[in-house]
Amino acid sequence: MRKRIVAIARKEFLHIIHDVRSLVIIFAMPVLMLILFGYALNLEIQNINLSVFDFSRTPASRKLVNQFAASKYFSIRYEKGTPSTIDSLFLSKEARAALIIDKNFARDFRNAPTTTVQLLVDAADPNAASFIKNYCNGVIGRFNDTHSTTFPLPFEIKQRIWYNPDMKSAYFFVPGLIALILIMISALLTSITITREKEMGTMEQILVSPVQPNEIIIGKVLPYILLAFLDGMLILLLGIFIFDVPFEGSSLLLILLSIIFLMTALSFGLMISTIVSTQQVAMMLSLSATLLPTVMLSGFIFPINSMPVILQYLSYLVPAKYYITIIRGVMLKGNTLWQLIFPAMFLLILTAVMLRNALHRFNLNLEK
Amino acid sequence: MRQIYYLIRKEFKQIFRTREMVAIIFGMPMIQMIILGFTITNEVKNVHLIIGDRDNSRISREIVRSFKNTDRFTVIAYETDINRISENIQEWNAQMALVIPLHFGRDLERHQTPEIQILMDGLDGNTAGVALGYAQAIMQRIARTLQVPEPVIASSSVVVEERMWYNMNLDNAQYMIPGIVVVLLTIISMMLSAMSLVKEKEIGTLEQLMVSPLKRYQLLFGKIIPFLILTFIELGLVMTFARLIFAINISGSLLLLGFLSFLYLFTTLGLGVFVSAITGTQQEAMFISWFFMVFMLLMSGFFIPIENMPPLLQHITYLNPMRYILAIIRDITQKGAGLRFLLTDAVPMTIYGIIIFFLAVVNFHKRTA
Repeated sequence: MRKRIVAIARKEFLHIIHDVRSLVIIFAMPVLMLILFGYALNLEIQNINLSVFDFSRTPASRKLVNQFAASKYFSIRYEKGTPSTIDSLFLSKEARAALIIDKNFARDFRNAPTTTVQLLVDAADPNAASFIKNYCNGVIGRFNDTHSTTFPLPFEIKQRIWYNPDMKSAYFFVPGLIALILIMISALLTSITITREKEMGTMEQILVSPVQPNEIIIGKVLPYILLAFLDGMLILLLGIFIFDVPFEGSSLLLILLSIIFLMTALSFGLMISTIVSTQQVAMMLSLSATLLPTVMLSGFIFPINSMPVILQYLSYLVPAKYYITIIRGVMLKGNTLWQLIFPAMFLLILTAVMLRNALHRFNLNLEK
Repeated sequence: MRQIYYLIRKEFKQIFRTREMVAIIFGMPMIQMIILGFTITNEVKNVHLIIGDRDNSRISREIVRSFKNTDRFTVIAYETDINRISENIQEWNAQMALVIPLHFGRDLERHQTPEIQILMDGLDGNTAGVALGYAQAIMQRIARTLQVPEPVIASSSVVVEERMWYNMNLDNAQYMIPGIVVVLLTIISMMLSAMSLVKEKEIGTLEQLMVSPLKRYQLLFGKIIPFLILTFIELGLVMTFARLIFAINISGSLLLLGFLSFLYLFTTLGLGVFVSAITGTQQEAMFISWFFMVFMLLMSGFFIPIENMPPLLQHITYLNPMRYILAIIRDITQKGAGLRFLLTDAVPMTIYGIIIFFLAVVNFHKRTA
């Protein structure tokens, strides 16, 4: 039995090696992704182009505008025209927001309890728009503080931030990226292994040989476990060396749990492989089932607690969710196996279900 | 002409013969739209909080109540023991803890500035920052109620009246759907067309096509046109879904949207042909086009706004055709932009498209000659 598995694994391995370009991509892609994501992933916007329509033209209004100019978030441009030009300013992307100061500003500011200014925001990107709104309220708040009696807090707030005191985004994203890359590569790779044989008609040849179905599956998956594992190690080391992500926990534990996660990813690919009949479909399915759900529902960027409840439940089906907890836990919090027992168990259950399903379907296909 | 028609018919038969393919082509956009439309939000809610009130005075209870009454925080436990608190944070049960010291209320009355402690899991820096901001705002509000109200208002306070243009309710789906449209356009026109051409190579039917009286350009068009048609069907489908599920209307011209998408497809179909010319198996074709796609996607502004990137990366995005079409589709659907405002994106995109397509076709001819 061992011999036959080794033979199948060897064949699959040769197939991988033979295709140099794919191999290069499998290793180059994660590196590039890591570097790009590590540097580019920044959700905070700066240098918001703010057009100012100051119809008051008084020291008071200029003071307000200067408060905006002093903030690192805004770059100010005075406009001479009327607010009717705002639409074209937004359309040509010369401005992201516009501040309109009424001509009665100075008078109201002296006499009335509140003075209103108008802020128009290009809200096409709603996240950016709410950032802009918040920054703007911050600036106005500071402006008001300098003009009225301030309230000093009668007590102090002492903050202690653990695990990532400088709140660096790389600490957060690098472990998540490893999960994303591992699952995409492993699922993509395995999803086409069996479909390829089906499509090319070589499956019959394997089937008439004395190899057992289970041996085919195991033999086919083995080389990919190795490949994906090497890939994962590569990203991990790069993350540690390029982005200085700390490693608090046990590396042995991380390796063990990573192998479990790889098995989950590979059984997912395998399951797809046994269901579909052409490589095109396999690819589309594994791509659409791994890329978006992993980015969106795993807690990779967007916190799961903030999502609508239905999607929170849906996230339990996303294997990367567990692995992201595991890898962040081990690397940054120094979690022990006991503390990660739930995510690890869930991964094992998912793997068992998918693997069983894959084997079952594979056997069904054989009988046909 | 007739030959091309037959080839197109063959290709469509091949696509629609696989029932799974049909399911994916029509099902995928639906699922993606639902996931994307509902999840992406930088709003932070339900931060899991532990409260340790050691004082239990009137004022400390007031603070606890304010934290309980907001959906920004979910109080998961009351715990005063600092070791248990840190265990809970380490084990992912809580992200934040608020500890009010003993005699907090008494010290406050004696003006001794007592100290409230906030412990925060800083792993997710973004969430941590926002949550700390919320906490401070709550405390400030409470502090204000403690103050003796000042009878004289020194000067007027400025109030902002905001108006959100193009997306009044800050609805994320409106922003994300154009992105999905672009992803689907690219997947179908680039990845599927590349794989379809290579498939003929891999299973050996390309030779048969080559020895047939088909001219090479006929072969090429026969392979490209079906995916062009399929892409447009998909485009219509997504727009219809978007209207039905998310009530999104295209505020600009549908014709312009279609026309500029068509220009974009030169790039992706060109890349598809190029990939299929240099590869021999579907696996290779898939990996290479996947590589293109992931980078085009990452550098397009789909997940990460381009303005947020470091300047060097921002310059690199100008090389990315997807950047232009994404901006174009977003501007047309959300802002109703006319061609005048789209030229800065449309012109470079078209130039790229023509160059890539031309090079790909030349390359294809050379390789198959």
